[in-house]
Amino acid sequence: MSEIILESALRALAAEWLAAGKLVAGPVRVKPDLVLYRSLRSPGELLLDGFLRPANSIKEFLFPKSETLYHYRIQGNSIELLENLANLAPQVLLAARPCDAAALPVLDHVFNWDSPDAFYNRRRAATTIITLACAAHDESCFCTSVGLHPASERGSDALLFALGGDCFEVRPLTDKGRALFNGKTQKSDRSAAPAPGPVKRFDTQQVRAFVTSRFEDPFWQEHSLACLGCGSCAFTCPTCHCFDILDAGPSAGRARVRAWDSCQFPLFTAHASGHNPRPAQPARQRQRILHKFAIYPEKFGETLCTGCGNCSRNCPVGLGVLTLLSEISHG
Amino acid sequence: MSETPAPQRAASSPAPSPSPVPAFEPRIVAYVCNWCTYLGADLAGTTRLQYPPNVRIIRLPCTGRIDFNLIVKAFEIGADAVLVSGCHPGDCHYSTGNYHARRRWILFRELLDALGFDLRRVHFTWISAAEAGKWRQVVQEITEQTRKLGPYADLYASRAFTPLPAPSGNGHAFKTFSAEPQLRDHCRKLLAEGAVNVVIGYGACGPLLATKPEHADRLVCNNRCYANLAAYLKRKEVKALGKLAVVVKPCDEKSLVVLENEAQFSRRDIHVIGVACEGVGQPKCAHCTARTPRFADVAFGQPVGPEPPAGPSPNRFAALLAMPPAERMSFWAAEFDRCVKCYACRQVCPLCYCERCIVDRNRPIEIDPAPSPKGVFAWHIARAFHLAGRCIGCGECSRACPAGIDLALLNISLHVAAQKYFGFEAGVDPQADPVIGSYALQDKEDFIR
Repeated sequence: MSEIILESALRALAAEWLAAGKLVAGPVRVKPDLVLYRSLRSPGELLLDGFLRPANSIKEFLFPKSETLYHYRIQGNSIELLENLANLAPQVLLAARPCDAAALPVLDHVFNWDSPDAFYNRRRAATTIITLACAAHDESCFCTSVGLHPASERGSDALLFALGGDCFEVRPLTDKGRALFNGKTQKSDRSAAPAPGPVKRFDTQQVRAFVTSRFEDPFWQEHSLACLGCGSCAFTCPTCHCFDILDAGPSAGRARVRAWDSCQFPLFTAHASGHNPRPAQPARQRQRILHKFAIYPEKFGETLCTGCGNCSRNCPVGLGVLTLLSEISHG
Repeated sequence: MSETPAPQRAASSPAPSPSPVPAFEPRIVAYVCNWCTYLGADLAGTTRLQYPPNVRIIRLPCTGRIDFNLIVKAFEIGADAVLVSGCHPGDCHYSTGNYHARRRWILFRELLDALGFDLRRVHFTWISAAEAGKWRQVVQEITEQTRKLGPYADLYASRAFTPLPAPSGNGHAFKTFSAEPQLRDHCRKLLAEGAVNVVIGYGACGPLLATKPEHADRLVCNNRCYANLAAYLKRKEVKALGKLAVVVKPCDEKSLVVLENEAQFSRRDIHVIGVACEGVGQPKCAHCTARTPRFADVAFGQPVGPEPPAGPSPNRFAALLAMPPAERMSFWAAEFDRCVKCYACRQVCPLCYCERCIVDRNRPIEIDPAPSPKGVFAWHIARAFHLAGRCIGCGECSRACPAGIDLALLNISLHVAAQKYFGFEAGVDPQADPVIGSYALQDKEDFIR
């Protein structure tokens, strides 16, 4: 026996959460050709089919693009720091893709490996993730190459499967997930068959061996010449988590802020002396691949990539992790 | 700031207000030039002319020095109105600073208007050192007007707005251009003979930098060739390869004209391969004015159809301008809310080539680098205005944006203004003086008191 929920019941549930003061976020069509994860104003905005995956990732609900760490107040010679760790409203990330949900355990490691990051952890604790399994994939998808699949449970509190006929199978995976659907589902004998994933495109072990042994290699120059050095890959990646700490002055509200940063920017590694250890784009592209497939795995035993393909779809010049890694594994 | 005392202001008579809510007192920031308006204001003080104390004077060497960012910054820190004032035409201490300023304001006002700023809060005047009376009058008028308008609550406010018509979709079928076979042959020959070290062209998935003759077979020319490859001419890694050849569509070719005009390279050093365009579809072709290469060293292919009419397609831009300003600002606030500051708009632009971008400068920080509402507005204003009279309308900024922000609309506002007021179109005439950097005595003045 499985548990099912009708689409109308799911939307009613979302309306209930919204009414209870929760932040509910999910895929929303913001333009005819653009779907993004946004916080929902009404449950009707939620998109449950007819799209592959949003062009951004759910990380912004746990690690916002710009987050005030504290405000400061200067009075005479004294400086007062005003922290704001007030309770957050609980948030439900609804109809996230498995490749997004799988990024959260990855981020958990980074934000907790030495000193726990209070800002990330408080949002994480307030979050429940309800994942919607993929029914389709495109040529940029490669979850199967990094050990995931279209119905991965990793990172999710509950997993939904579209059964057709405006009906979803619900598989609660954690107590949090179970609590949200408690008493809202019906028993059924219908059960979803997992959709086939994309064909495996590369082997992570082979990639790791390549990137660790070929640090100085013309490969990097040859395959990153076309990169224009924007951060759209990193900023739409579910797992990229680098940030910069900025002091926002009086015009920006007297605060210390952390904002997303990207290893693709020259300023990311620029030293005060003017020296830059990664002086050109090939070194920055290499860093991105190295971090995802060698440095992070060495430290935490898994890959810093969930195969969502956002880097390829958002790249203005048709590059992305998959392009480079396919080149590596084909020779 | 200066050691000299600020011009004396008339003392206000602070009658204790009976109401617990203090009456609204507008805050007005005045950027004035050192040589005329500052002295005019000083004269008003020394001759004891009474005028409202609402104006905060910031003295700068010349109106020609007043960075447009300062106007935005004043609003960011809470100004309800901004006044910029300098010497009368012909009186500039530096001969022509105010003429340059006037030209910049003409364009900048149009950008502010497209963004939905309340232009009733942005004032320009000419006030000489002798015109203490005019200074008093102007400050009185602006203060009264701003008092009536109330606090600038609409700044960057997110409210309801009418959505713009959706851009037409790009559902056209794949099509190879007639230029492709000749293009491949030519590039193979160039690389085999060593005439160039790299050909910047298009591959099946995007730009392809061909360095060997055998790469020529991977070059394509079809209606999926969206990117403006002139963007690679600014890349250090690409320049380091040696002699370059670049494939350009007629729209992209214009960026080479601007780049050469700005001394970014010499045409002798770059081999330009033009391809006749058969259209790459919407939204790029919405702004198309040319299908035949005009400046390339060699050109291949036959353009299909007649040259499109000059001028950008007005649909979305006209709809934007049809909104009331406050609604327009809400439209942009909603668009900019999605901006993550990945800077794809800057990186894909062939004309954004500064070694260190203004947003990356941190001593002092001119633009809040965080993707906060202020920081995002300031960034997009700076990006668009740095392209005033330079943008050739390739639309790469809009195409590259992962958040789907139609940035080209801002560029269009400046393009339209340059055409309307100066009859200028970037990238068309290699001999033309750039719009910003030149001036004419008869430039429009009707917005300056």
